[in-house]
Amino acid sequence: MIEDLFSIEKETYRKSVIHQLDARVKIVICFAVIVAMVATPYSPLVFPVAGTFAAFLLVLWVLARLSPVVYAKRIVMILPFGLFIILVQVFVQNPYYTAFTPIADLPLGLHIYRESVEFATILLLKFLISVSFIILLSSTTKVQDLLEGAGRLGLPAEFTLTLGMMIRYIFVFGYMYRKINESLATRNFGPFDSHLSYRYRLRTLAYTIGTLFIRSYEQGERTYTAMLCRGYGRESHLYIRKKPVPRRDCAFLAFGLAVAVSTPVLFWLSSIGLL
Amino acid sequence: MHLIETRDLTYIYPGNVRGLDRVHFIAPRNARIAVIGSNGAGKSTLFKHFNGIFQPTSGSVLVRGEPITRENIREVRRFVGVVFQNPDDQIFSPTVEQDVAFGPTNLGLDEEIVQHRVDEALRVVGIEHLRDRVPHHLSGGEKKRVAIAGVIAMEPQVLVLDEPTAGLDPQGVHDLVGFINSLSRTYGMTVIFSTHDVSLVPEVADLIYVMDRGRIVAEGDCQEIFSRPDLLFSARLDVPVLPKLISSLREQGVDITMAYTFTEAERNFLAAYRRSA
Repeated sequence: MIEDLFSIEKETYRKSVIHQLDARVKIVICFAVIVAMVATPYSPLVFPVAGTFAAFLLVLWVLARLSPVVYAKRIVMILPFGLFIILVQVFVQNPYYTAFTPIADLPLGLHIYRESVEFATILLLKFLISVSFIILLSSTTKVQDLLEGAGRLGLPAEFTLTLGMMIRYIFVFGYMYRKINESLATRNFGPFDSHLSYRYRLRTLAYTIGTLFIRSYEQGERTYTAMLCRGYGRESHLYIRKKPVPRRDCAFLAFGLAVAVSTPVLFWLSSIGLL
Repeated sequence: MHLIETRDLTYIYPGNVRGLDRVHFIAPRNARIAVIGSNGAGKSTLFKHFNGIFQPTSGSVLVRGEPITRENIREVRRFVGVVFQNPDDQIFSPTVEQDVAFGPTNLGLDEEIVQHRVDEALRVVGIEHLRDRVPHHLSGGEKKRVAIAGVIAMEPQVLVLDEPTAGLDPQGVHDLVGFINSLSRTYGMTVIFSTHDVSLVPEVADLIYVMDRGRIVAEGDCQEIFSRPDLLFSARLDVPVLPKLISSLREQGVDITMAYTFTEAERNFLAAYRRSA
């Protein structure tokens, strides 16, 4: 998990047209797509909308010159969080349909309904598209640029300063974790080494985690002292330099927003026969 | 009026551990002051009193003749900049530029001045090229420079460096020595630093305080301090290698004048060689 932090960071340092876009442009397009996807009503209308957004994502991913493996690895990590909720939906009725048709009867009085399966599929598509755009955003934008971009878009100073410190210390602890692992390996300790007793391995890992907690607490104390030394107070905020959005990026923003907004609107107009 | 003065400063840590014991310390204007002592001698504890991070258990700390109060604490922290031993304690922003800008931003300066301060601080420590880098991609020496730049950007009159050479390679130490000297010479700053690397001290200090078990056991210039090996040994320190060698040669009858810095020693060795030849 910690190593993923470094591999995600490595991807963001690549060079491509998408990587070079201003972070604000990417944030706005990403959230516009998510809002459009979430706002699309729970109906079969979601299928073509999700398909178009998936095609848009594919184009952006190709332009970003990232390996599909990067996407696959990250989606696999995130999927379990959403899949559980989505799977449960096939067994329950929901307020978006009036009639439910059972397609399978299970023990304990459980049924699988056709409408619930459709609802779960729609939910899955909304989830996949939203998460995929977040993966694209975080794979093509350095984390500090994301923060700066969010700050320039108006994220309150209280959040930018706190998030900034969190970003900084995630990496500090990432390196600390690596060093602890290396020092354990140097002395022939492996958490999955069957030569060592299970209890011993568990105890050593517990000590290690405990040490990491204590060190993080102490680090917090020392950092707070250092902040005070540099005049930290109620008015403190993260310094974010003003930076205009390049014209080329503005054009891309306009295009991205047009895709995000027009896709559900056009399919909806088509569904009611106006197109 | 001294820039910093402590009178009878005593600090007791929770658990009744005596960190400082009746410390008298004076930092004059435009001075380079070394505080030497073994691990746990109380150097860092003393430094944390200079800008009000620690409050004395008894005694007083005066900055420009005034005690540190809640009202003047922000001004004191602008006036006395403290650089910690471990840069990871001090660099807490996602990029170098943002970290250097943290102090000036807290002073309530407008963006243009903050930008100017950041540019200047990065230039003074020679790391303009690191401006947009993230701290975890920097080497130990680079991080140390970023930490110093973050404090310099507040334009303090007194710069306090806690173990500045810890973890630096020889070139890094050499650069730091030059940097400390230039701060005093070019900008008229008072630099206070702690170390247990005694060989570094003659190159960068006009005034030396020796600390042992929370007390200041000696103060003076290089000659006054390094001519007392017994005192240094009792404080778990040592005499720097050059005066130690010259003392040994003098005891063996070589006619050579005592020297503390490399330049002095080179000159005196050459003079002794010419006399004997």
